Amino acid sequence: MQFILENIINGILMGSIYGLAAMGLTVVFGVLKVINFAHGSLLMVGMYVAYWAVILTGLHPYLALVIVVPVMFLFGYFLQDIIIKPIFKAEKDVREPITVIIVTTGVWYILDNLSLLVFGPQYRNIQDNPLRGKMLEVAGMLPSVPRLWGFFAALLTTVAIYWFFQKTRTGRAIRATSLDREAASLQGINQYKIYNLAVGIGTAVAGIAGVSLVPFYNIFPSVGVLFDIKCFIIVVLGGLGSMGGALLGGLIIGVIENVGAQFMAATWTEAIVYGLFLVFLFLKPSGLFGVKYEW
Amino acid sequence: MKERSIWWKAYLCVLAFGFVCSMAFPVDRPALAQAKEVKVGNILPLSGPSASVGQQSKNSQDMAIEEINAAGGIKSLGGAKITMLYADSESKPDKGVAEAERLINTEKVHVLTGCWNSAVTYPTTAVAERYGIPFIVPVSVADKITAQGFKNVFRIAAKDSWWTRDQFVFLGDLQKEFNAKLSTLAFVYENGDWGKGFAEEWKKLAEKGNYKVVMDEPYPSTATDMSPLVQKIKRANPEVLLLVSNAADAILITNSMAEYKVKPKAIIASGGGHADPSFLTAAGKSARYIFDIVEWEIDVNKPGAKEANAKFKSKYGYNLAGESVDGYIAMYVLADALERAGSTDPAKLRKALAETNYRKGQGMIVGYDSVQFDNTGQNKNASLVMVQINDIGKGMERITVWPKGARRAGYKPVFPTP
Repeated sequence: MQFILENIINGILMGSIYGLAAMGLTVVFGVLKVINFAHGSLLMVGMYVAYWAVILTGLHPYLALVIVVPVMFLFGYFLQDIIIKPIFKAEKDVREPITVIIVTTGVWYILDNLSLLVFGPQYRNIQDNPLRGKMLEVAGMLPSVPRLWGFFAALLTTVAIYWFFQKTRTGRAIRATSLDREAASLQGINQYKIYNLAVGIGTAVAGIAGVSLVPFYNIFPSVGVLFDIKCFIIVVLGGLGSMGGALLGGLIIGVIENVGAQFMAATWTEAIVYGLFLVFLFLKPSGLFGVKYEW
Repeated sequence: MKERSIWWKAYLCVLAFGFVCSMAFPVDRPALAQAKEVKVGNILPLSGPSASVGQQSKNSQDMAIEEINAAGGIKSLGGAKITMLYADSESKPDKGVAEAERLINTEKVHVLTGCWNSAVTYPTTAVAERYGIPFIVPVSVADKITAQGFKNVFRIAAKDSWWTRDQFVFLGDLQKEFNAKLSTLAFVYENGDWGKGFAEEWKKLAEKGNYKVVMDEPYPSTATDMSPLVQKIKRANPEVLLLVSNAADAILITNSMAEYKVKPKAIIASGGGHADPSFLTAAGKSARYIFDIVEWEIDVNKPGAKEANAKFKSKYGYNLAGESVDGYIAMYVLADALERAGSTDPAKLRKALAETNYRKGQGMIVGYDSVQFDNTGQNKNASLVMVQINDIGKGMERITVWPKGARRAGYKPVFPTP
């Protein structure tokens, strides 16, 4: 039965990376109350930035974070400031600004096709990085080293974001806006600036997820699409807007995928994941950690 | 602050406008279409999961069309040029069907070609048949595409059942050559039309050859993690692993197998993702010793093949793959048929295509000697070769090993996987 234990470990490692990928989505939703359909594309952009950072500088993939995080933060910040904010302002009297969702879909298509145009359709990965293909050998089991790094990156990121939201002034301002944007504005908080920050943070987290994927994954223009749907499911499982929920949702999906595939065809584990998604929508639409009250 | 943001917007508008203009009116396109032209509608997956291979097909077909046009176009039509109209299927059958309708009704194309993915080609050929427009299929290999009784479908590549047949013949020859006995097989395949078609044939052939099937596993090509699948292969512990994969999953499976140290005695792949040039660069050392069945390899001993590949490589930066070659020769077969038909009338063109016996010309860089279609529209001469991926001092490359007559001089296949 050792293989089940091995699969559970693998599921947890890969699942934490899924959770990390979904975390940016949950941050943006928590504050803007908008599903960011471009999230997968932001992950793709993060992977390309990480890829080029490693290829051009020869850094260790995780040291590339010092480049990826600021670049992605600024990218998200200005994406929100220049493209999404005007739409937000036009729709400011609407509680759930639907046009913003449509705009993020547009951003998704533009980013995917731009990268197809600029980088071409080929699959890239970093052949010579110190993490590639490394496996730990523990008691006959083989956990993957790059995924282990991803696991710790996910934990640290969750803790860091949680700390930032709880303990810093800006973090509190972001939470205030997320609770009630009108009331927050009355306290002198510039809600649009907060939105810029939130999208910036969400994009930077997508960048971190990109970094954790780059050592063992392929990079290609539509890679975001593979993760997109998974991210939505994870976020709904964990509860929209909850960091810990995203991580836990990721772990659940990762473990189902890994353990389930040992007993049935891999096609069926997808069915189980989507089935679970439906069950949650019926029974607990707010997810595991989601808040139930009306915004 | 206010003013600056207005300037920003103005600047972005100008940028966007310039971008749109450059997309809509490429500079090198002649302002007016020529008096006479042959319109070819080409439906390919130019975005989505198969974008990489779709782009390669497009490149090779573009190169062939350029050569044909530069050599004076179709002479029996007064030097008419061939114009290619591309449509993106995104690998989706419904999109392919809709684009075929559009190309036929709105763009008035004379011929259709495409669609790479068998699942897209299958329903799309039905549209062409309904309108009586000839449809040249370079690479979609599902048997059923030419088994519909259609009069307007012509396929260049060898079909599924020939691929699987040759894989098993190779397996037999391998055992004879190395005096080994292989008895357990594992089938792992993408869960689309293509993979399932292969697996069905494999099952029959395994039964006939007295092999024991220890694993029979479809998987979704879009899966983000292949390690569960690889661990399952490890536990099944087959002697031979047969694969059907698209590119992204082929790379992931190969890398994961190296990570988990899964080493069957032989791995036999089925072209597609394994034949994608980016597979070799992205899987690198992990790809070593994989056998792959393909319609063509750059070391094929044919006049013009090296030159065509060199030209292609300098143009697009990577080698021709078997599927690109099928796209390339398909355009020459079309030009040949147009030349003989002397008309763009679909019925006359269909008749000319059916009578095709294309033997020499710039497009004839394939391993076999002529293109001739049987009455289902299948190119009856299409043949296949088996290659092994190995590094013999010049980096990872694909080396032809089977049939023995075509084997690269001085190379002995590595078996079992060390």
